[in-house]
Amino acid sequence: MNKDSYYGKFGGQYVSESLMNTLHELEAAFDEAIKDPKFIEEYMYYLKEYVGRETPLYYADRLTKAYGGAKIYLKREDLNHTGAHKINNVIGQILLAKRMGKTKVIAETGAGQHGLATATGAALFDMECTVFMGKEDVERQALNVFKMEMLGAKVQPVTTGSATLKDATNEAIRSWAEHAEDTFYIIGSAVGPHPYPKMVKEFQSIISKEAKKQILEKEGRLPDVVMACVGGGSNSIGTFADFIDEKDVRLIGVEAGGLGIETGKHASAMALGKTGILHGMRTYLLQDDDGNIQLAHSVSAGLDYPGVGPEHAYLRDSGRAEYTSVTDSEAMEAMLELCKLEGIIPAVESSHALAYVKKLAPQLGTDKIIIVCLSGRGDKDVNTVQKYLNGEEINK
Amino acid sequence: MNRIDERMQLLKEKNEKAFITYTTVDLPDYETTKKIMHAQEEAGIDLMEIGVPFSDPVADGPVVQAASYKAILNGATLEGAFKMMKEVREEGLTSPVAFMMYYNTVYYYGLEAFADKCVECGVDGLVIPDLPYEEQEELKTILEARGDKVYLIQLVSPVSADRIPMLLKDAKGFVYCVSHMGVTGGDANFHENIKAYLKSVHDISPVPACMGFGIRTADDVKPLMDVVDGAVVGSHFLKLLEESNYSTDAVIKYIKEFKEGLRH
Repeated sequence: MNKDSYYGKFGGQYVSESLMNTLHELEAAFDEAIKDPKFIEEYMYYLKEYVGRETPLYYADRLTKAYGGAKIYLKREDLNHTGAHKINNVIGQILLAKRMGKTKVIAETGAGQHGLATATGAALFDMECTVFMGKEDVERQALNVFKMEMLGAKVQPVTTGSATLKDATNEAIRSWAEHAEDTFYIIGSAVGPHPYPKMVKEFQSIISKEAKKQILEKEGRLPDVVMACVGGGSNSIGTFADFIDEKDVRLIGVEAGGLGIETGKHASAMALGKTGILHGMRTYLLQDDDGNIQLAHSVSAGLDYPGVGPEHAYLRDSGRAEYTSVTDSEAMEAMLELCKLEGIIPAVESSHALAYVKKLAPQLGTDKIIIVCLSGRGDKDVNTVQKYLNGEEINK
Repeated sequence: MNRIDERMQLLKEKNEKAFITYTTVDLPDYETTKKIMHAQEEAGIDLMEIGVPFSDPVADGPVVQAASYKAILNGATLEGAFKMMKEVREEGLTSPVAFMMYYNTVYYYGLEAFADKCVECGVDGLVIPDLPYEEQEELKTILEARGDKVYLIQLVSPVSADRIPMLLKDAKGFVYCVSHMGVTGGDANFHENIKAYLKSVHDISPVPACMGFGIRTADDVKPLMDVVDGAVVGSHFLKLLEESNYSTDAVIKYIKEFKEGLRH
């Protein structure tokens, strides 16, 4: 066991032998790149000039008054180019891919946000791009499929298993194992075999680096609570990253509770705490009694994943971060409230974090400060909102 | 002595190659899998890989994926696979058997309980494609504490390169040489440098080197006879089973022909 690849007992490299040298090369290239000032300069250049960073840390005055407690700051990742935090990581990984001499990139996607970000980066850097997407999701997210194709990417529908994100990830891993010699796999979440969780954290940590600087400028002190939604855990690990060593800052991850944990129809891998191995990592997973992976259920395609990044599993076990969940309808209500109170349409994923802000803020005094990551915008979710308002089923 | 060692020793004495097949449990049902196993023994198979299905078989191509999916729908479980193994051993099956499975299935069952059960039911080897060398220590330690009864089979790939000596140094039973990149199945267009790669394994391996992925007939292996000690047929064997409606006659005919082909 290579201890560097683990967070406590979580993480590792559970991949086939044919990918081991690929992972070692990737790790070496990544470690070298992040120590190279030229690489960092280029990464920061694209984040500023192309993505549009830094994103505001916005004080949500009306939301704060409505929830009646702690001051609520929104980290506006929804204002990034392509509409979510996913692009931060894609720019980093694609620059690394170029540096390694790869000419093709592949990615998995659920709702399509990571696929869209990857297709965007591939267009920008002239790389051939294939996005694996479950057939179910291809149908549910037709607009994002069309956008990816406009950007020149090939969208490969995946029909195996449940035909959703989990299976798209399986298929991306299979394709990678076959084509690793010229192909770079851009994983979108803080999951997968080492060094992916570490890499995704590094490239998403820009969220907390900015937020920390911004809150010190605005309030002259650190926040009391930092909060984000957790699917695989990329926006949350980026939002936590620079606060992990600040022991007085509470870190809270909000998972998708679907129809309720007790119904079994949810995407909260942490809730039951069953450890297992999937997609190259040891972590908490939704599993049945035979050790098969169970399907996740959530109104949010971006949180609809049966596992969680290994560092989150470790942060939970070590007690450094707290994890909770909210239901589909709680998230939808919080989404609509932010629309009406602040004129911001948040992604249904980010709305999970907002729903927990609603519960927590009143319990804290008005002198307390919460930073919540608004990981993406909700344009992609308007059909879901429509269905919700019409009383139709939104979580199948 | 482990049954795999016994068989490999015997083959070496007879100057023969090993023939290994792969089937998934409970395909098309529990009893037929047992019948197929006995038929294979009758035909002279050297080792049977028995697939214990997992919901997310990332190292497998479409044929094994479909087989795993069907088997799960048929109710296949690890517990059931153990029960079946115990029964076929009681019925007199003496051929070596290895479970092909994913690590989550082992991990979820519990490593100690899993190892005990393998010993109890007569499982001689384990092929776990998502458990690379660096992650094997925990399971290997537990298996070794039970003597040489259950071997963790090492897999080697065409891009293992400088890792090969490390992979082989404590290899047991046989070493499974993956013939091309990617997943199980595919065709017999092996990796371009296949012969050099197999030779690099064969030259230093302390145990027989058997190749798999994409093999259909003994002719596929012919050009490589001097650098391999055996061949594994998985996806093609599953197809043959399905197309013959799980006929034991078809199984016996195929295995006999393949074994015969390997002799010439």
